[in-house]
Amino acid sequence: MVVDKGKKAKFAERGEEDSDHIDGELVLSIEKLQEIQDELERVNEEASDKVLEVEQKYNEIRGPIYRKRNDIIKYIPDFWLTAFLSHPALSNLLSEEDQKIFKYLESLDVEDFKDLKSGYSITFNFSPNPYFEDRSLKKTYSFFDEGTTNITSTTIKWKEGMNTANGVAYEKNGNKRPFPEESFFSWFGETQQKSISEGFSDEVAEIIKEDLWPNPLKYFNNEADEEDFDGDEDDEEGTDFEDEDDDQADEDDS
Amino acid sequence: MVADNGKKSKVAERGEEDSDHIDGELVLSIEKLQEIQDELEKVNEEASDKVLEVEQKYNEIRRPVYIKRNEIIQSIPDFWLTAFLSHPALSDLLTEEDQKIFKYLVSLDVEDCQDLKSGYSIIFNFSPNPYFEDTKLVKTYSFTEEGVANITGTTIKWKEGMEIANGNGHEKKGGKRPFTEESFFSWFGETQQKNFSDGVTDEVAEIIKEDLWPNPLKYFNNEADEEDFDGDEDDEEGSEDDEDGEQDDDEEDDDEDDS
Repeated sequence: MVVDKGKKAKFAERGEEDSDHIDGELVLSIEKLQEIQDELERVNEEASDKVLEVEQKYNEIRGPIYRKRNDIIKYIPDFWLTAFLSHPALSNLLSEEDQKIFKYLESLDVEDFKDLKSGYSITFNFSPNPYFEDRSLKKTYSFFDEGTTNITSTTIKWKEGMNTANGVAYEKNGNKRPFPEESFFSWFGETQQKSISEGFSDEVAEIIKEDLWPNPLKYFNNEADEEDFDGDEDDEEGTDFEDEDDDQADEDDS
Repeated sequence: MVADNGKKSKVAERGEEDSDHIDGELVLSIEKLQEIQDELEKVNEEASDKVLEVEQKYNEIRRPVYIKRNEIIQSIPDFWLTAFLSHPALSDLLTEEDQKIFKYLVSLDVEDCQDLKSGYSIIFNFSPNPYFEDTKLVKTYSFTEEGVANITGTTIKWKEGMEIANGNGHEKKGGKRPFTEESFFSWFGETQQKNFSDGVTDEVAEIIKEDLWPNPLKYFNNEADEEDFDGDEDDEEGSEDDEDGEQDDDEEDDDEDDS
């Protein structure tokens, strides 16, 4: 029978003195083994497809809930700004100036592509503001089968004088930044294509998508370590409500 | 209404001059937001459960295929030894002596706990041999809810003189090893409990379970880089890549035998 010679290679060492008959049996076993591996591969692909189906289904279920959530968040002033500032990693990314800009942030949106595998986008929606013309800043990640990631992003239309003030004028693509106070908004400019072998390293995107987006309330409430919260809350600009009665009393008196 | 005071703190900064009415709206919004988060959490848990169900189902489908595979492998001498030696990472783990012991390795088995989450075992089955009494060496990983990995491993009943020869006699648990030639079999003795937060529990186990076990034939055939294989196969003890050339050699040998 016609046999892939490569497969015989490893046996020939042992099989030199064997008759063709035993070689034939070995070859047959290896062929049967290959068929089993092919069968396993089919099973594995089917499993992956089914898992992806489940994830796609639940992603669709989550969609309307996220929209409902967005509507509620509009009634909580500075929600996303507060959540960002309460997040251990993200808080470090906002300069003083960025925080002022974030006061115009109306909503955040993270949307997967429908099939989940191909990518997702992160959108920051702003009300009209003195900093830039755009109402929406969006960064999109597209994953290709070959393992490359395409990143596209809004080019921010800064209003006059606003870009320099934020220290992004001297931004270099992906390299050293001369300004110590790097603006969060430079993140929108970081769009080099990467291959997955380099590691998909847009950490900010991953933190927003995997950590902040699923439950921003946790950070807003500073509940990351809930036991500490009531006791250690010490930037007390307005924690009067911890002792509600006193506050009520104060207001009544004045 | 009674509200969780903690939730109000962050917005109090803004709300100082607001009337109680607006504060009340804020609190209401935050409560509604919390309900949404609770709803999302339920959806996420359901999704995880369904994904786990799928994985458990396919794991059961794979079991009989693995059993069939094991039977076929019995007909291929030194299959697992060859696969180990062809694996870029695992090959480094076998000393000369280990390789001799592996000639008695009948089969390898990787078995998940039925629910998949609780752990798995890696089993090496040996035929009777001059090295140890055991016919089965097992290493088991059990994961608890809290994220702790409990590891148990067969205490090998080495036959007289065999343990020291393999450099196992002076094995220290998890610390520096004085012998440069560390035996693969010391792996069965590495059973400290670990936390997931410590990072990878056991690299050898992961490589065997996730890489070798799913498709050992790929390594056995040295097909890791299939394009290179036909051209670059250069430890040519018996490579018959060049079909016509090698065939001639074989035929020559046969001729010699005949004469």
